[in-house]
Amino acid sequence: MRRGARSGLVVLAAMLGLTASSCGNGVIDKSTDGVPPAEATGTLRVLLPSFPPSTKGREEFDKVVADFQKTYPKMKVEPDFATYNNLNEKMSTSIAAGIPYDVMVTGVGWIQPFASKRIFADLAAYGVTPEVIKEKSVAALIEPATYDGKLYGYPLVADARAVALRKSAFREAGLDPDKPPTSLAEIKVAAEKLTERDEGGSITRSGFDLASATGFRQSFTTFLASTGTPLYVNGGPNFSNQKGLETLEWIKSMINNVQPYGQQNAAQQPLVLTGEAAMGIVGGAVDCSDKGIGQKNCDDLKFFRFDSGQEIEYVGGDLASIGSRSRHKDAAWAFIQSLTVPTTLDAIAKLNKKLPAYKDAGNSPQAKSNPLSKFVADGLVYAVNENSPPTNWLEMRGNFDIQLTQAVLGQKDPAKVLANLAGQSR
Amino acid sequence: MSATLEHPTKTAAAPRGAAPVKESRELIRSQVRAGWILLSPALLHSGIFIVIPVLAVLVLSLTDYSFGDSWSWVGLGNYADLFRDVDFQASLVNTVLYAVVVIPISMAIALAVAVGLNQKIKGLGFFRTAFYIPTVTATVAIATIWLWIYNPGSGLANGFLSLFGFAPNRWLADPATALPSLMVVGIWQGLGTKIIIYLAALQGVSRDLLESADLDGASRWQKFVNVTLPALSPVQFFVLITSIVGTFQVFDLVYVMTRGGPGTETRVLVLDIYQNAFQDLKLGYASAETVIMMIVIALFIGAGRLLQKADVND
Repeated sequence: MRRGARSGLVVLAAMLGLTASSCGNGVIDKSTDGVPPAEATGTLRVLLPSFPPSTKGREEFDKVVADFQKTYPKMKVEPDFATYNNLNEKMSTSIAAGIPYDVMVTGVGWIQPFASKRIFADLAAYGVTPEVIKEKSVAALIEPATYDGKLYGYPLVADARAVALRKSAFREAGLDPDKPPTSLAEIKVAAEKLTERDEGGSITRSGFDLASATGFRQSFTTFLASTGTPLYVNGGPNFSNQKGLETLEWIKSMINNVQPYGQQNAAQQPLVLTGEAAMGIVGGAVDCSDKGIGQKNCDDLKFFRFDSGQEIEYVGGDLASIGSRSRHKDAAWAFIQSLTVPTTLDAIAKLNKKLPAYKDAGNSPQAKSNPLSKFVADGLVYAVNENSPPTNWLEMRGNFDIQLTQAVLGQKDPAKVLANLAGQSR
Repeated sequence: MSATLEHPTKTAAAPRGAAPVKESRELIRSQVRAGWILLSPALLHSGIFIVIPVLAVLVLSLTDYSFGDSWSWVGLGNYADLFRDVDFQASLVNTVLYAVVVIPISMAIALAVAVGLNQKIKGLGFFRTAFYIPTVTATVAIATIWLWIYNPGSGLANGFLSLFGFAPNRWLADPATALPSLMVVGIWQGLGTKIIIYLAALQGVSRDLLESADLDGASRWQKFVNVTLPALSPVQFFVLITSIVGTFQVFDLVYVMTRGGPGTETRVLVLDIYQNAFQDLKLGYASAETVIMMIVIALFIGAGRLLQKADVND
């Protein structure tokens, strides 16, 4: 038994040793910064929602890797094709696990919180500043990529939104499709005329699609901006005021009046493109081929922009950053350079129905490929977004979605909701 | 363990003197050592995967750690903030409500079904398998199917109700019906495990007692209430405890079906913790919330124990 006990203790010690050694950082590469690119070895971990998990998406990504490996032939690239829904959890768990990503592609509103936590690196080390990027990129994405006067994200693609109407539905309702309603008040009047119901009173065709099935944050930002009121100014809230209240009350008056709450189709496509709504918010591209909605449907669409005092177009986008804890910062920058080759940006834009974020996006192949992309590319000069969100924006995104919904559904007083959200913005 | 080990010491020591006592003590020591060695893998596992994380959560709950480079001690600040946080309050209320409704209803249905499956009926194997399928099916798959059932336009639920002339309901999109709709799925999904446990326990109910009750002229209901139910008491407690823990940890169902909405109508504690930790990056705050959740679960289990004791004393 004694011998057995000793053997057991030895086994136990071995297990402890094994456990301790597995807790070490064996998976972390040695730093390649300063090493000649041709000699650098290791794995570059990239997190990006810019390539859909389709065969075409993988092929385009492989081209980027091939271009990168012309400079860094011995380095591997480990992609994580995230979505915007799980981007934060991927980033936070990678940091907690001690294996942060080297390249992270995020969106508008991510830069300020992550830069303030020093999770993203200042791109000035690679000669990219807000002044330099101004000459190369879409102007609308420079402010969202900047924190404290420094650039932390390199714009890849712009995600612009417009409004579309169905000409046939307008004519049936006695409205002139050549004079689209642009102010919030006009849109409400038209939407009520365009809404169709069954005998029981249930909406069978929405008059206006607010594109808010998962939350009202972006639509509130858009409608508010159309009144000439940006959501945030210099990091401070600018919505707990008369304009903000009117905008929220307007959304409340639209939901379950011209569109049922939570309406979306299985493909999560804009409802006006499928005819489920007579008018509504659309993304940055439409496929007019037979594989898409077809030329006949396309011809029935007319695009316009919100204007309740200021003509605007909501513009988000993908921004590439380098992880501040990366051990391959030089390689990460080389990868971003491969990612921002114009032909690659064109491919990403096409894959995601967005616009390439280079300066002359209006002349890009994507803008020339369909009428909606052409329209939103021309409208980039009217771009708005959250403007300068606070450093706790990631927390506020969820707060906006929840509390605006509560106000719209009549569970909370709209004025109190806006005051509360303003108080929570830090 | 001590009772069985002490016994040979007393019996062996008395007649034979000092040497046998020494041998006996040595035997006990070696048995104790063997016990610890056999126990050590489980202890190691518990230490690494339970004790260390719990301690880490306790420490993190006193900080403002948010995955960045810097953090600071905030004392009980996170706890104070939690009790002012309306999302946390809604999550706590929804979770307790979910547990209070789902646990007793699912236990009652599971017991009734188990009693049915304990009879000699045709197709017993099929029914047992059918009731257990939801338990072994991935929650994400279940949630996706129920999303279709609850679809306001083309879902089975509205289709069924329309046969009786009822107007379509917006189930998960309506604040009044969203949480009850999730409760129905929760009850249905949790039946399988409970049924299997009850079924095993029912087969262990003393035949002698049941036959005695028959001889005394007891009805089926009287036999169930006075013989079967008391015999199931320890199992009831086990099912209650596992149900409390399970319902308080509900997450995947809510995440897939509603993401806590509309508003905070279906927001539950684990979803709120997940949101705070991995979406809002407030790990310190989420840790404080986890500690509160552990305390609430402990209180519920304590209440369950008190009920069990009262039941036994009765």
